Amino acid sequence: MNKILLIIQREYLSRVKKKSFIVMTLLTPVIFAGFYGMMIYFSIQGIKGSSNKIAVVNANKTLTEKLISTNNATYTYVNKPLPQMKAELATSGYDYVLYLPDFSLDDPSGIQLLGKKQAGLTLNNKVADDVENAIRNQKLKQSGLAQKDLDNLKSSVDIDMKKIGDTGKEEDSSAGASTIIAYVGGILMFMFILLYGIQVMRGVIEEKTNRIIEVMISSVKPFQLMMGKIIGIALVGLTQFILWIVLTGIISTAVVKIYADKSMAQSAVSTALKKQNENKIIKEATEKSPIGNIQKSLANLDVTKIITLFLFFFLGGYLFYSALYAAIGSAVDSETETQQFMFPVMMPLLLGYTLSLSVVTNDPYGNMAFWLSMIPFTSPIAMMVRLPYGVPDWQLALSMALLILGFIGTVWVASRIYRVGILMYGKKTSFKEMIKWFTYKN
Amino acid sequence: MLSVNNIVKQYAEHRALDDVSLTVEQGKIFGLLGPNGAGKTSLIRIITQITAPDSGEVIFNGQRLNSNHIAQIGYLPEERGLYKKMEIGEQVLYLAKLKGLSTAEATKRVRYWFEKLEMGSWWNKKVEDLSKGMQQKVQFVATILHQPELIILDEPFSGFDPVNAEIIKNEILELNKQGATFIFSTHRMESVEELCDSIALIHRSKKILDGSVEEIKEKYRNNTYWLEYQGEYNTELPSDVFEVLQKDIRKGTTTLKVKIKEGQSANNMLAALLPVVNIQRLDEVIPTMNDIFIDQVKTKD
Repeated sequence: MNKILLIIQREYLSRVKKKSFIVMTLLTPVIFAGFYGMMIYFSIQGIKGSSNKIAVVNANKTLTEKLISTNNATYTYVNKPLPQMKAELATSGYDYVLYLPDFSLDDPSGIQLLGKKQAGLTLNNKVADDVENAIRNQKLKQSGLAQKDLDNLKSSVDIDMKKIGDTGKEEDSSAGASTIIAYVGGILMFMFILLYGIQVMRGVIEEKTNRIIEVMISSVKPFQLMMGKIIGIALVGLTQFILWIVLTGIISTAVVKIYADKSMAQSAVSTALKKQNENKIIKEATEKSPIGNIQKSLANLDVTKIITLFLFFFLGGYLFYSALYAAIGSAVDSETETQQFMFPVMMPLLLGYTLSLSVVTNDPYGNMAFWLSMIPFTSPIAMMVRLPYGVPDWQLALSMALLILGFIGTVWVASRIYRVGILMYGKKTSFKEMIKWFTYKN
Repeated sequence: MLSVNNIVKQYAEHRALDDVSLTVEQGKIFGLLGPNGAGKTSLIRIITQITAPDSGEVIFNGQRLNSNHIAQIGYLPEERGLYKKMEIGEQVLYLAKLKGLSTAEATKRVRYWFEKLEMGSWWNKKVEDLSKGMQQKVQFVATILHQPELIILDEPFSGFDPVNAEIIKNEILELNKQGATFIFSTHRMESVEELCDSIALIHRSKKILDGSVEEIKEKYRNNTYWLEYQGEYNTELPSDVFEVLQKDIRKGTTTLKVKIKEGQSANNMLAALLPVVNIQRLDEVIPTMNDIFIDQVKTKD
């Protein structure tokens, strides 16, 4: 037992001390946090938009209802003819001139938006909406509605999605959030199993090509060496994962705080009203935007449960596959020879990955999703993808039990191939040969 | 201290060891000889518990070989290898700890040996930065660090320059004096004659010869002598005392290789020659291990 610990220690430390590990571990959360910050930034910017100053030249005699200014567009009515405005636009401080000709309210045509630069599609739609609103309001007033009736007509509809849990309790949910979590979980799981599984294989090949294996095997049992390597690398994976979560958390909080501070500083110079307004915008932006929605749902998803299960399925899936990778590593003399064996091991993982991200995300409760999340070859990824949509406890338990049985099985098979393979040199190994090794008596 | 009894090891289509038995005595240097592919490495792998025999047993210090003996055996394989990216000091420590040494004890001994073999400055170097000979030295230290009772060296001198080979040889002799038993596996006979007390010769999976080096040499002396003299003697004349195998005359000096016939002795030959010629040299031709090795391998083929 003590020897296994020594091996785990070496495998762990030799990897954690590597520069590439440190760089990857530190850089990835920065990239994550960068994305996160950008998403928040753009969602707020998108709502606030850039403010456009629009001079309205109203040549219409029937349209008396004024266009209502919003943050994106401030309308100022000017009492100048269009040609003069056109000529003065460059020096007037306005960005655009909106020309409302004398159209009939039933057929508004000939409206022009003239600017120093081409107006974007968003602004175009916005102005069109505002004009339409003004016309509608005018028409409604003409048909006898008072201003207060108009205000009454406004309503804002927000659908709150709730899922009824097993206990009948309502849970907030968001299909968007679940899908994102499912994708991130599935991709991370696939990446981790593949990356760390291949590290196990490389480690085994390294020991074989360096010819240190014979020295090692004269001190420890092949099984101890294999398990020590697998567990040591698993701990490297866990370390990296946990550091990512912690660092991403710290950096994201910092980014959000810096951004909030910046908006506070900006608003400090403005009036109290504007400040209130601005804060409301940010609050609204974060609440109304998809990001805000997702943040809300994130808070409702049981993050601890997801992370715990991620760790379990990562460990299970990793043990399941890394044992197979160890067996492959033991059977070859160099990495270039691994191709023929990699394919059958990669196939189920890749299949699980693609099916999980397509079929399972579309129908997380279907038959396909169920079986993919039960079979140990695909269950770590499929289960991660299903998890945010909710999985009955008995299915989780069954899947976990099957995964444990699965990796005990692969470790057993792999250790029998490994003990023979590591001492074989110079022979091209075939699957037939590996089966023969498996049946050797010790 | 070690006896190997009727070991059989069968690989798929190939019998690597066929009923091999041998005994290694405490405190001796034992040579395991044989051409490439004879089964030496298979036998060593069984003694080091890397593989298990199909039948037969190995007795170590009176006990059937088991995993408790791992710490008492040191093994330097023919194919040397270390972790390339690992620092030397750390690496040797690791290997020593795997043999059961505590960290403190292992550190002390690594420092001692690094000092002794002038490797002190290598501690933080990586294996890939060392020359092949330096790596061999590191591995030698790793092999003996846990003070094993039995040290098995597979082709110990390959890869060493003569200076370092001499250093290692002296270390081996010193360890031997302190009580360590050695098994050498080699096909290079010079080192055998210098170092080994006894040998076993393995050929085609079978042991074909074993015993102490003196005994074997004694057994293979065949009454052949080098004889040098000045003067005239007709070697064409038939003699019942000796037979001339080889003749060479240079500047009046005749050199003969002669074989003394059954029941005769060198004295009888001299008695016959003394009246006629002026004897300058008489040497017994003692077969080298190399001769015996080649002779044995050839006769069995």
